[in-house]
Amino acid sequence: MTEERKEHLPLTGIRVIDVATVIAAPYCATILGEFGADVLKVEHPIGGDLARHFGTPTSRGDTLTWMSEARNKRSVTVDLHRPEGVDIFKRLIAKTDVLCENFRPGTLEKWGLGWEVLREINPGLVMLRVSGYGQTGPYKDRPGFARIAHAVGGLAYLAGMPKGTPVTPGSTTLGDYLSGLFGCVGVLLALRYKEKTGRGQYVDTALYESVFRCTEELAPAYAMYGEVRERHGPHIETACPYGHFPTKDGRWIAIACTTDKLFARLAEAMGRPELASTGLYGEQKTRLDNRHEVNEIVRDWCGSHTRDEVLALCNDANAPAGPLNNIADIFGDRQFHARRNLVAIDDPSLGETLIVPSVLPRMSRTPGRIAHLGPKLGEHTEEVLKDLLGLGDGEIAELRSHRVI
Amino acid sequence: MNEGSGKPLPLDGLRVIDVATFLGGPYAAAILGEFGAEILKVEHPVSGDPMRRFGRATKRHDATLAWLSEARNKKSVTIDLRKPRGVELFVKLVSKSDVLIENFRPGTLEGWGLTWEVLSGANPGLVMLRVSGYGQTGPYRRRTGFAHIAHAIGGLSYLAGFPGETPVVPGTAPLGDYVSSLYGAIGILLALRHKEHTGEGQVIDVGICESVFRLMDELATAYGLFGKIREREGSGSFVAVPHGHFRTKDEKWVAIACTTDKMFERFADAMGQPELASSHLYGPQRQRLKARDEVNRIVNEWTASLTRDEVMRRCIDKEVPVGKLNSIADIFEDEHFKARKNLITIDEEGLGPVVVPNVVPILSETPGSVRNLGPPLGNATYEVMRELLEISAAEIASLRQQKVI
Repeated sequence: MTEERKEHLPLTGIRVIDVATVIAAPYCATILGEFGADVLKVEHPIGGDLARHFGTPTSRGDTLTWMSEARNKRSVTVDLHRPEGVDIFKRLIAKTDVLCENFRPGTLEKWGLGWEVLREINPGLVMLRVSGYGQTGPYKDRPGFARIAHAVGGLAYLAGMPKGTPVTPGSTTLGDYLSGLFGCVGVLLALRYKEKTGRGQYVDTALYESVFRCTEELAPAYAMYGEVRERHGPHIETACPYGHFPTKDGRWIAIACTTDKLFARLAEAMGRPELASTGLYGEQKTRLDNRHEVNEIVRDWCGSHTRDEVLALCNDANAPAGPLNNIADIFGDRQFHARRNLVAIDDPSLGETLIVPSVLPRMSRTPGRIAHLGPKLGEHTEEVLKDLLGLGDGEIAELRSHRVI
Repeated sequence: MNEGSGKPLPLDGLRVIDVATFLGGPYAAAILGEFGAEILKVEHPVSGDPMRRFGRATKRHDATLAWLSEARNKKSVTIDLRKPRGVELFVKLVSKSDVLIENFRPGTLEGWGLTWEVLSGANPGLVMLRVSGYGQTGPYRRRTGFAHIAHAIGGLSYLAGFPGETPVVPGTAPLGDYVSSLYGAIGILLALRHKEHTGEGQVIDVGICESVFRLMDELATAYGLFGKIREREGSGSFVAVPHGHFRTKDEKWVAIACTTDKMFERFADAMGQPELASSHLYGPQRQRLKARDEVNRIVNEWTASLTRDEVMRRCIDKEVPVGKLNSIADIFEDEHFKARKNLITIDEEGLGPVVVPNVVPILSETPGSVRNLGPPLGNATYEVMRELLEISAAEIASLRQQKVI
């Protein structure tokens, strides 16, 4: 860019330290960075964030998940197992608005970096703490991953064919992203409160409870009616037809008739409007009582058309249907193109172009940005220690030789 | 329930209009309400939000359990937007509010004359969240979209299930509604910040499909770079072994996630077969991935020889990431859910105790709260018309008579 254009985003001027690993709390920092915050990724000098190693590696060694999700961050290496490292970290905290961490509870405390200590250094600090089970409760010390959180939070139990093996609910990292999103909501709320009152606070987010929070009436229905929800394969219990249906060309289509009006439109699309009459299946209750029959009718219809034909007929009738896209389908999908949900970013360190999901949410006046992909380990250590902490070349060289940074 | 402790909350003084239906969008309003905002749920005078009828019915004819839980902290105001006088009242309400949340099919509000120009004309600082299946732009924007369809379009459903078999619901039907609401809440909090700095309002445009797609870690990047199409993986994961769901002797299930070699070593120890973690057997992840079936067979045999509690105990002793696949009955018994107060009981007039999921995330200084459950239809119409819009009692009666409110 030749023209000096001052970027003004909602979080311009906010500094974030992301000392967390993998996706959960780091994804919160990613969002903050997309909307203008300066995100310092503080990593161990050897190996760095586990996200660099977990998944498919690039020619540079760092994984694809790292390249995509560490977007916009600056990498600063500091060894928190060393007192000199702890000292540098504290000095960084004094100049920071938000800290994101997801160690097992007690780890930061062990290094002398507990909430009380950090708050004393920076009374306005907003701290996001993500862990498998949260900062309190009997399981807090257990190791937790999204896979475990899906199980504990009740999601995994519900994914799969009735009585069959419960399956991964589509992705093993859902719980990480959900916690990052809940954490980000908490951080933005806390920043707002801090700006009004000067008081910082911490946000305590557990992977399992982020997952559990998304289970609508599962808990109230058990409490009131003793109903234990089970796996329903491609269907759900409260609406019909609702599920995944195979098409003639061996693909799958999702159909969701949550109301009678939507079923009437589907019946129209199938060329059998009479199915939606009150004498037949016009009412949700009747459809639920005859779910096997109704599903059979829909399955037969889908099975006699290609996926694209089913879609075209449903779309013409405004019936809610969609293809079960694989990633190749998504790359070819006009809607994803029109919305620019995928962006190609040239990465000089790889000499390659990577395609990554673009920024969400989409804001009309202050759209987020991807300035660069995941940094190399320690790429910004020197500039941050110099610019932010005013360290000299000699000091930096010494810290390096002692492997503190 | 938190009594009004008088402690300030991050969103005190903020007024939000939620004119959306079901969950994608309304849940964003629920979060804002939990943290202090006043939420006016604007509904059709006769039918109200269809969410009132979706899910398990209660003794209250205008409230399912899902409604009671997720319309928490809201006040209900009835206005018919299909009537010109209703539109007038609505614009007046918008001029006295900070945030507007809607999720009609794109073009619907415009059809009633409620364009962004009109709304921002009435309130230049307005922050407006628009949630829809496909977003406000692109070729599919007018299509009917639900979370179930969005899971399919966004690539999640394709990946839930066993290889070559029926793709299943990824655990819960409205997941995409929660995710898009979380993105929406983040967008609103960012936009409010921008507004407070500049006075400018803006629109946040969230598609449910793209919200789901954003959670798919390296799915897009790996396809972009290597042409790799991820397929369904049953209960496993392509990145690590053992990483899945295993059946125990008492016909229950546990999740085990050995994402690193160190964790596998601990797990081999827990199984009483430490030799499995030697470098010539299954010590390195690469070898475990190659011998996936064999490793999973060994794990399955071990878990099948013990009760779930015994598997849990042995894994926890060795710090192996493990979790029960909790049904909702298990969750109600779980001491950790109790300790974290993840479930709260609220006495609802005419219904008795209703148990709902508590607020997530947990903030240390300004915890959110559930002050009331989903309101009766129109419970705040009079109050809002009289006090906020300063309409006379006589005129309110006449509006009621004409079914405008």
